[in-house]
Amino acid sequence: PCALTGSPPQALVDDTEDVSLDFGSEEELALRKARIRHPLATFFHLFFRVSAIVTYLFCDWFSNSFVACFVTILLLLSFDFWSVKNVTGRLLVGLRWWNQIDEDGKSHWVFEAKRVPTIAASTEAEARIFWLGLIICPVIWTLFLFSTLFSLKLKWLALVIAGISLQSANLYGYIHCKLGGQKTISRVTSRLFGTAHVPQRQSRRISEDGTEDHGKTVPR
Amino acid sequence: FPGLADVSISQDIPVEGEITVPVGSHSPDEDYSTLDEPVKDTIMRDLKAVGKKFVHVMYPRKSSALLRDWDLWGPLVLCVSLALMLQGGSADSKDDGGPQFAEVFVIIWFGAVVITLNSKLLGGTISFFQSLCVLGYCVLPLTVAMLVCRLVLLVGAGTISFIIRLIVVVAMFGWSTLASTAFLADSQPPNRKALVVYPIFLFYFVISWMILTFTPQ
Repeated sequence: PCALTGSPPQALVDDTEDVSLDFGSEEELALRKARIRHPLATFFHLFFRVSAIVTYLFCDWFSNSFVACFVTILLLLSFDFWSVKNVTGRLLVGLRWWNQIDEDGKSHWVFEAKRVPTIAASTEAEARIFWLGLIICPVIWTLFLFSTLFSLKLKWLALVIAGISLQSANLYGYIHCKLGGQKTISRVTSRLFGTAHVPQRQSRRISEDGTEDHGKTVPR
Repeated sequence: FPGLADVSISQDIPVEGEITVPVGSHSPDEDYSTLDEPVKDTIMRDLKAVGKKFVHVMYPRKSSALLRDWDLWGPLVLCVSLALMLQGGSADSKDDGGPQFAEVFVIIWFGAVVITLNSKLLGGTISFFQSLCVLGYCVLPLTVAMLVCRLVLLVGAGTISFIIRLIVVVAMFGWSTLASTAFLADSQPPNRKALVVYPIFLFYFVISWMILTFTPQ
């Protein structure tokens, strides 16, 4: 337990929590102070994308075999798509999107945002890394597309198109989550029922939170 | 989610009021916990879903797993393994059958997309990715046939091996077509079923042809 008298150090007051006289445990304070709370997720968010690009650029150095490069890059792109869609999105920025098919066979795209931030919520640094990684990589793959077309190395075309589609799908999904959509949205306070130990903070957070937000779509 | 039909939250409800509204009481529990579940759970859940679908392809009957919880991992793995087995030439040279590899890839994915578009244009109720999922997973019998053919070719390349390969490929082709038809034809109006089944037949026929005429260099 730390003795906090007077005004708290600046590091405790960041954009996700406004806590003043809070005698949280050591781990909670360390977590709140950290600029990156999910180091592993941040690493993997960038690792697969950057490795795919690096492998594509330098495949001639790694191996003579077109097939090995193709399969490697394709697997990296697929792992990247899966991890960004299912893991790093919800850990780093609290957003998620998926496709749901209900009983009568209609398919719905659902975009969800975590409304109430918690102690382990993401920081600004993480969010910045997330969005930069999300935006820059499809742009790079589009450049590869043009270079493939103009240099007529068409055997790579299938791979580049796959790369563009997978990465832009994630980009589109997360932008859609972030901006809300035309679909009617009802607010979901997802963590509310799970974190009983911080009720006052939650309610204060919500009343101060004036940002546009969105939750699960209600299928009609 | 029929229970949510009467829950509508307009913009001018005071934000504090929403805290006490039991939103999503009819949603399955996992919709809340999956936003925060540990990564290992996510991985295991998806792996099990993929495995379940493979089983459903081998024993085709109308099941919701292939149709409702679609995923494209199975088709990717099958496509890559089939393309790897179908490549000609030696694996280490610069000109190592690269074009054939990409060709198989393109044929499978482009063919699946065209069949899906065809079935949607004919008024099918199934969604785009569901159809891709079913078509991709039903390539599994043909991948098994390819494996068997390669093994048979290791032994010898004469008439007997050709007959064995022919029988295996025809059997697996029938299996694939029947499996995918069982899933896809139901979503069409009755007088259009043949129009939907024919492209599927053609698709698996082309793949079977590639498998049957494969000769290692």
